[in-house]
Amino acid sequence: MITNFDKLCGELEKQELEAPNGVALPSTYAQLLAIYLYQNDLCNAKFLWKRIPQNITSSNPEIAAIWAIGQKLWKKDLAGTYQTIAAYTWTEPIANIIKALEEKVRERAFNLIGRSYSFISLDTVISMTGLNKEAALHVCKERKWELDEDGTTIKPVPPVQPAPLHTSSEDQLFKLTEFVSFLEN
Amino acid sequence: MFEMNAAEPMQVDVPLEDNENNETECYVVENPTLDLETYAASYTGFAKLYRLMFVADHCPSLRLEALKMAISYVMTTYNVSLYQTLHKKLSEAIASAGLPDVAVQMGSQDIPVLDTMWVESKTKKAAIKLEKLDTDLKNYKTNSIKESIRRGHDDLGDHYLDCGDLTSALKCYSRARDYCTSGKHIIMMCLNVVKVSVYLHNWAHVLNYVSKAVGTPDFNEVPGKDSNQSILTRLKCAAGLAELATKKYKSAAKHFLAASIDHCDYPELLSSNNVAVYGGLCALATFDRSELQKQVIVSSSFKLFLELEPQLRDIIFKFYESKYASCLRLLDEIKDNLLLDMYLAPHLNSLYMQIRNRALIQYFSPYLSADMRLMAAAFNRTVNALEDELMQLILDGQIQARIDSHNKILYAKDVDQRSTTFERSLAMGKEYQRRTSMLILRAAMLKNQIHVKNVGRETGPQSGEAPGSSTSLTPRSFDPVPL
Amino acid sequence: MASSLEQFVNNVRTSSASGHFRELVEMIGKSDEVLQRNSAHLSTVLETLDIQQHSLGVLAVLIAKYSVPQGTTEVDKTNMYQKIHEFITNCNGEQVRLAPDLYAELCHQLTEHLIEIKQPIRGIELLKKAIKKIQLFDSQLTSIHSDLCQLCLLSKCMKPALEFLDTDVTGIGSELGGTNDSKHFLLYYYYGGMIYAAMKNYDRALYFFEVVVTVPAMVVSHIMLEAYKKYILTSFILHGKILPLPKYTSQVVCRFLKPLSVAYHELATSQHAAIKHRETFVRDKNMGLVNQVLNSMYKKNIQRLTKTFLTLSLSDVASRVQLSGPAQAESYILNMIEEGEIYAMINQKDGMVVFLDSPEKYASPETLCVLEQQMAACTKLHQYIQEMDEQIQVNPQYVKKSAGSHDEDMPATSQNSKNTYSM
Repeated sequence: MITNFDKLCGELEKQELEAPNGVALPSTYAQLLAIYLYQNDLCNAKFLWKRIPQNITSSNPEIAAIWAIGQKLWKKDLAGTYQTIAAYTWTEPIANIIKALEEKVRERAFNLIGRSYSFISLDTVISMTGLNKEAALHVCKERKWELDEDGTTIKPVPPVQPAPLHTSSEDQLFKLTEFVSFLEN
Repeated sequence: MFEMNAAEPMQVDVPLEDNENNETECYVVENPTLDLETYAASYTGFAKLYRLMFVADHCPSLRLEALKMAISYVMTTYNVSLYQTLHKKLSEAIASAGLPDVAVQMGSQDIPVLDTMWVESKTKKAAIKLEKLDTDLKNYKTNSIKESIRRGHDDLGDHYLDCGDLTSALKCYSRARDYCTSGKHIIMMCLNVVKVSVYLHNWAHVLNYVSKAVGTPDFNEVPGKDSNQSILTRLKCAAGLAELATKKYKSAAKHFLAASIDHCDYPELLSSNNVAVYGGLCALATFDRSELQKQVIVSSSFKLFLELEPQLRDIIFKFYESKYASCLRLLDEIKDNLLLDMYLAPHLNSLYMQIRNRALIQYFSPYLSADMRLMAAAFNRTVNALEDELMQLILDGQIQARIDSHNKILYAKDVDQRSTTFERSLAMGKEYQRRTSMLILRAAMLKNQIHVKNVGRETGPQSGEAPGSSTSLTPRSFDPVPL
Repeated sequence: MASSLEQFVNNVRTSSASGHFRELVEMIGKSDEVLQRNSAHLSTVLETLDIQQHSLGVLAVLIAKYSVPQGTTEVDKTNMYQKIHEFITNCNGEQVRLAPDLYAELCHQLTEHLIEIKQPIRGIELLKKAIKKIQLFDSQLTSIHSDLCQLCLLSKCMKPALEFLDTDVTGIGSELGGTNDSKHFLLYYYYGGMIYAAMKNYDRALYFFEVVVTVPAMVVSHIMLEAYKKYILTSFILHGKILPLPKYTSQVVCRFLKPLSVAYHELATSQHAAIKHRETFVRDKNMGLVNQVLNSMYKKNIQRLTKTFLTLSLSDVASRVQLSGPAQAESYILNMIEEGEIYAMINQKDGMVVFLDSPEKYASPETLCVLEQQMAACTKLHQYIQEMDEQIQVNPQYVKKSAGSHDEDMPATSQNSKNTYSM
């Protein structure tokens, strides 16, 4: 199971550039496209889709299916994204990337809801996260989001900032010294 | 501003200031409360003629009367071409009024008829006088008596002015300059030039000669304190007009405020009432509260001007007492009359807007939060219209506040100095980096003599093949929506 | 005939062996004609030379081999990619750096060839290698840069160009300036701007387009005009208005560009300009950017709202920025929150939005980190400028002029220093 998509991405990009006659293998294109989507790099995904030779896209329905997700993401249609993901039976190694993609999109959606809404209807949460009602309520509970007394509105809480990275005070002192010496000169 | 410009061939060369032209929208004032007789009596010469024509152009109900008065006045001068223009306007006015019976009814006794005999004899007389003045001047010049030559030039200028040839008048008055022997002469010359320049709307010239006059070494030693005061007032008024015309309302206000009522006698340009209105409105639009108090309200000299315009005086006091609703209402009441003032009309809307904005800002200044419903009532506006106005002021940075549209409350914005400092310095750093890397690149470019020259076929603007026109590039590289 | 060719080979061999490369470059410059005349024998010549040892000689032969002399028919290019690939991979960097113009010429030929056979993507890796080989330092611009960008754009594979584009140029290869026209310089910044715009990095795109427009100019080039159009559009997207060009922009540019891009200026004043001038925008292939401008105008308007309002209903937002309804307003606001362009809280219960200030308090370690990075970048630039200044201070010409008789030389001196410093 591959988890380091960034490294794989670099390898695939290299494969494409070094392909004889400039045409890479369909599996290279498919994985690269899926990884760009996973990285939320929609611009590069779009251009990759455009440069894949026509005969490859037409004979490899999986590539077209991946780009169908890309289109939904481009339009920021979250509900559509989950539907498109569910609508195709993915094969390995793509299935692995798509699974990671789905989780990441959902995570982003939850964070966005937390940042953007003081009150949100349960239906909107469901469509933005692609979960069923029980699962959505479960995640809300996990995140300590309260259900309003009317039973259909959620009160989200902004996501906590990730723990600050620590720099050694020695390092800071060093930088400060450098800065002051720059000013003095 | 003046349609008659086209009819006066000598004037086409004079460049009008830009701002004059684009604000001459055709508007019509329906119900002025102006007493034309009194109004016209305050002016002489071109001031009277121009003002009457302006009224005629913008107020149909006063059009005939204004034109008649202008015609009867112009007949006392040598200005034949303006006489003809006015007659043309008059016949147009009668025709467009579409009331033949009015014309017939009034025409018989009232409406003056174009007097060709008068035109001929005046033209002849003017030519004779011109020739005489010319010969006189030549004689003076052969005798080279400086003082006579100066007077000769002035007389010739006066005559040209009387004929309506402003550019030639300006030339003569300016030529007198070389024959001035005393400070007093220089000042007289400046006044003449200023006057004609105002007529010509050459505002830069006006300011130039005003400062020349004030800068004359013995300006303050001119005999007779009174005449000195009166000259100063004239200069201030002319400068005020020029600043007003070029939209520098604050300095216009300062100039008008410096006028002295006892010496305000300048019918060739404006009346004391004009000084009051111009100065008052400009001050209201541009002065802050303390300036308004010190320089206008307690000013002993300007107080006297304001007595002439009681309505305006009330407006200023209401404004100062923060009674904005009645202040703004009074302003609206006098608007129609002000729109008939040729110098003020093009600026009236922006002055009114500034006064209104100033009122809004002042209203809110002491508050941390204000109920917009009360505020709207104080300004004769609906809450929504007020919201729009406030939004503009906030965006312009004139009010530091935010609107709570839900509860209709305006909150003063508290600015976090620390955060803004951080924000600014980061932005500054970014800007520095951008500029500096651009500078380094530019240095490298110059060092390598990179520039677009005429030699390269490909880089010439007329070349058929355009390497940059992306002919070889697919346009889709830009299509942001691939779907 | 053959003897002159033999002479060439001999010269290459002896000069290379004795290390007299400068003389060799000179000689090569003169043997253009000889090589062209004997194009039939060039393959044989190549076999007698070693790529590593006789890089300069091979370079000259390759160029002659693949350039089409006037009046003749097609040149056999079947092995071209392979030969050039082999050469760029194996040639001696020190040698080819003595003839950067020839080296670049070869790369231009390859680029043209790949575009012709519609396989631009194959050149990307090779040109990257080629650039790195000829560069004296990372931030040196060569005329091969523009080829790389062109291939990237044509193959729609932009990412590889970014590592070069992201490096701010501090020096320029000699083959770009001087008596050569500035086409490749203009093209690099024009293509680079296009790549950044395609990647939605409008900030950099604007910078690149600005460089094109401000190149000193006696005449206006088409590249500048096209760049100016895109400059206007990117400026709209980023700032909502057209940023004025810097003062040092050439007079002729200011005078000619504006009247040639009226449709673009009209976008500032009227929403309808996009529809009215649609044909122009489509013809200029800028419709995509124009659509981005329109979209950004909605966003700019929403940002204005956040500056003036604390709370506002979604339907008020919609009506104030002319969106179709509260639902569209909600989706715009949501997207802008996600992009970090505004800070707000939507309340679906009562349909209101609360606009917030940036939650950034500038008190976190991240802030410190960002600050440190920015300060370090500024310091570095400052030091670079100081170095440049020092170089000028010790430049004999400068010293002579500034210390010498002031009166006569004054204009020249000021000219000189202006050339170097004026922005």
